[in-house]
Amino acid sequence: MTALAAGLPGLRLVTHLLVTAGVASLLVAKLIGPVGALVVGFAVLLSWWHEGARRRGAVSPRLEWALVGVAAVAICLDLVYLTSSPLDAMVHLLLFLMLVRLFRCRRRRDLRDVGFLSFFLLIAASSATFSIGFLVLFVAFLVLGTWMLMLHHIAGEAERSGAIAAPTLAVGPGLLRSALFRVSLGAALATFVISGALFFVIPRVGQAMLPFRAQLGRMVTGFSDRVELGAFGEIETDKTVVMRVYFPQETLEPTELPNLRWRGIVFDRFDGRTWAVGRPDRVLVRRGAPGDFQVAAPRGHGPVVRHEIFLDPVGTDIVFAAPRLLRLELPAGVVTIDDMGSVSVPLGNARQHYVADSELELPSGLDPVSRPAGRRLSPSDRARFLELPPLSPRIPQLAQQVTAGSRDPYEAALRLTQHLSTKYSYTLALKRETTLEPLEEFLFVRRSGNCEYFAAALAVMLRTLDVPTRVVSGFQRGEWNPYGRYFMVRLSDAHAWVEAYFEGIGWVTLDPSPRMEASMAAGPSALALYLDAARMRWYRYVINWSLHDQLVVAQRVRHAGDPRLGLAWLRDWRPPTWLLGAVGLIAAPLAGWWLRRLVRGGPVRGRPVARLPRFYARALRALARRGLAPEPAETARQFCARAATAAPGCGEPLARLTTQYERARFGAATLSPAELAELERCVSLLEQRRP
Amino acid sequence: MRPRRTIWPTRDGWWCLFVVTALGVAAINTGNNLLYLLVSLLLSLIIMSGILSEQSMRGLRLRELVPEDLHAGQPALFGTTITNRKRWLTSYSVTVQMLSPRATPPFIYVSRLAAGADRLVTWQETFPRRGRHRLAGVRVTTRFPFGFFVKAGRPLLRPEVIVFPRVTPVGPDALRELDALGTATTRRRGRGAHLYNLRGYRAGDDPRLIHWRSTAKTQALMVRETEAETTEDTRLVLVGAGRDPQALEAGLAHAASLATHLVRLGAGVELAGPGVAIGVGRGPAHLRRVLTALALYDPGVPQAVTAILPLEETGRMPLREIRVGLG
Repeated sequence: MTALAAGLPGLRLVTHLLVTAGVASLLVAKLIGPVGALVVGFAVLLSWWHEGARRRGAVSPRLEWALVGVAAVAICLDLVYLTSSPLDAMVHLLLFLMLVRLFRCRRRRDLRDVGFLSFFLLIAASSATFSIGFLVLFVAFLVLGTWMLMLHHIAGEAERSGAIAAPTLAVGPGLLRSALFRVSLGAALATFVISGALFFVIPRVGQAMLPFRAQLGRMVTGFSDRVELGAFGEIETDKTVVMRVYFPQETLEPTELPNLRWRGIVFDRFDGRTWAVGRPDRVLVRRGAPGDFQVAAPRGHGPVVRHEIFLDPVGTDIVFAAPRLLRLELPAGVVTIDDMGSVSVPLGNARQHYVADSELELPSGLDPVSRPAGRRLSPSDRARFLELPPLSPRIPQLAQQVTAGSRDPYEAALRLTQHLSTKYSYTLALKRETTLEPLEEFLFVRRSGNCEYFAAALAVMLRTLDVPTRVVSGFQRGEWNPYGRYFMVRLSDAHAWVEAYFEGIGWVTLDPSPRMEASMAAGPSALALYLDAARMRWYRYVINWSLHDQLVVAQRVRHAGDPRLGLAWLRDWRPPTWLLGAVGLIAAPLAGWWLRRLVRGGPVRGRPVARLPRFYARALRALARRGLAPEPAETARQFCARAATAAPGCGEPLARLTTQYERARFGAATLSPAELAELERCVSLLEQRRP
Repeated sequence: MRPRRTIWPTRDGWWCLFVVTALGVAAINTGNNLLYLLVSLLLSLIIMSGILSEQSMRGLRLRELVPEDLHAGQPALFGTTITNRKRWLTSYSVTVQMLSPRATPPFIYVSRLAAGADRLVTWQETFPRRGRHRLAGVRVTTRFPFGFFVKAGRPLLRPEVIVFPRVTPVGPDALRELDALGTATTRRRGRGAHLYNLRGYRAGDDPRLIHWRSTAKTQALMVRETEAETTEDTRLVLVGAGRDPQALEAGLAHAASLATHLVRLGAGVELAGPGVAIGVGRGPAHLRRVLTALALYDPGVPQAVTAILPLEETGRMPLREIRVGLG
């Protein structure tokens, strides 16, 4: 009779749960879809039933082999023709092997193999996901895996020794109430703690950034080199958080920072329907000696803020950061910067984590005199940013009409911005109503649109007024998460705005869209914010934990100066005298107790005494001072009788000591506290009675 | 110096180490922190395996149970009491492994030993040859908790034992020879024919033993007690140089069998031979002395020649003599 037939339902149950966790990890990693997960889950359930049916003889072995054969052919076809990546092929193969093992499970070792295959599923999932759901499955796997390994071990040992009933002895009645289950839970907890410690300590010497299969984000419309008007409308309803911006320095309150938005790609060419990157002058910048990229020099105006950005894959290689980007810390060897300030890195499909220093712009309503002067535009650049497609004459007329009476281009730009943001409304319903050009329809018919329409309208009208402009695509600020001190930026925060060039001032950000006010209405719940903060920490301290972080923490621990670690007070702390005294009072008895334990033969409460007990040794020393010592061949009782004759006063205490000595040393008796106190009294009597 | 514990991976343990190594390489190669997390998990399992197995083995004490009489070629039951001397913690999945290849079973599995509890485990072992032997001992091992590593303690319970020569029932020829040499009575109670004592009747006494004459005299029921009958005291004389090992062993086994038979019958036995001189004596202790001398008998070692006095000169008659040839 096999171990399974002998009945190891606990081991089977744990193994099936482990398989479920493995399949769930594949689902989290999107290596299989919900339908695939359901099919596999059904197969796992079927295997449970199948085990019972097979034992009843209801399943023919030929049928089993036929099914295995069909599945093998299917998996071969899948490996050769269907799978899109080696990882998918490996996952399908693993699932096939696991299910075959489950259905053909004859021995205990088969269950163990199934458990190991489940672990490989987890490994496969780890290379394709960053989700915090992985942590949940990791913990589940840890608990179930520890339990399975213990049950497997106990069952195996019992099988080896031929004692079929041994698992019951070890496990006891009730699987969950058994002592072994408690041990396994404790072991799982300890393993989790040790794993955490090891995870943070193991040096991150690897340099590669790409996972085995990069998690491809959707190709988000609006962040490619060409963007059609209205394309943002598709993503502005998507509430998925794609970017988190953490502010490590707490000198400034991030919510009060001016003009905070996340600049991405910049477009200079407009053909009437599409904005595109026309003639970019791109340069490759290599990482500097300190390990960062110097993007621009500071102008000395506006606050400089450092922010840490966690960007999920959105199908673009653009680096998003607060304008104006000065410096970038990024785990890449080279970045590309074009002449419009767009920064890109050739890791667009991977999740990105980088630190940026930006010099924030002053609010656009500020007096232009106080604005810093920028680099002068060359004639070719000026022509480039003034280029216009064939337009309806109504558009320049509208621009002239709105800006009539303006003292300078800057004031004209502010008037146009004001006009658009107040006279037009923001909407995501971008249905075309006429056959007019999109911009003309927006300005004169629909009078509502999304941020792209507003930005395009402002940029085009300013160009008709001979003001160079460009359209910037990025994200607006997002929602502040007070639990993690970061901005949550969703896909729906995708935004477009305008940068206009003014002589003597430079490039100025203008945002005509009234969207900010529209989107301020509903915020996420406190629970959602808290969960997202947990997710942020997962990204920050697990997914993106790096050698740099390890060095920083090591340095901070060494200097005990990290306020987040709460150890800063250690640097200058001097313990008061009374505290030292109290610690000494507590530590001295403890040290004495330990020393007493270390001294061999010392009677420790609750433990049998094997060697010469200390109380008897003390009694012998006291009697030796009186000239009484046991003879080499004299027993304790003989010595007691002789000593009682020679020193009558010592007879009674020595008789008690001798009795307890014999109990403790030869009877392995445990002396109670009362008995020890009595012995102490007897020893004191012997020590006091000096001749 | 022998280490306190030895650890060796099992087949599953080797697989685990292989997977850790492969995952570590993959983690370094890809920089994927989730792979680092899984590597940490496996390393932690290995560490926990060491901690839990140590906890399982710590505080275990073994006390040997060795039989007093061991005879060559005859199976003997050995045992050990394994005690968990920890105050609170239970020891799980401990195996007592016998180091002797002749032990059956070769190991005994103790699935659970609660704090303060003890358990007796026994095994059978047969020593093929007489003489002084050191037991191979036992070793406590465990694969707890995951079966990845075998942790073993030092070999324990290795006392020196003396294996007596093989003792077999005395054959009919030898029995006839013994009977021919006669029997004698001993001055102790028994089921013989000679009167040993008269005493008052006690409930349960055989009514046929009532001594009616004394009963009549004393007016109280009196019963007879008889002397035990025994074989006469015997001197076993080892004869021969013992050059043929088989004959030597056969002779010593015969002598041991005779001595055992005679002592069980209550006779006094004396052993004499080249380098051997055990005076006459009775009882189990004396038998052990005789058997020990036979167990350690080595004709190859030069011995002081012991003068074997003729029976008439010993002055301790009656003492009969049986000569056992050693080849």
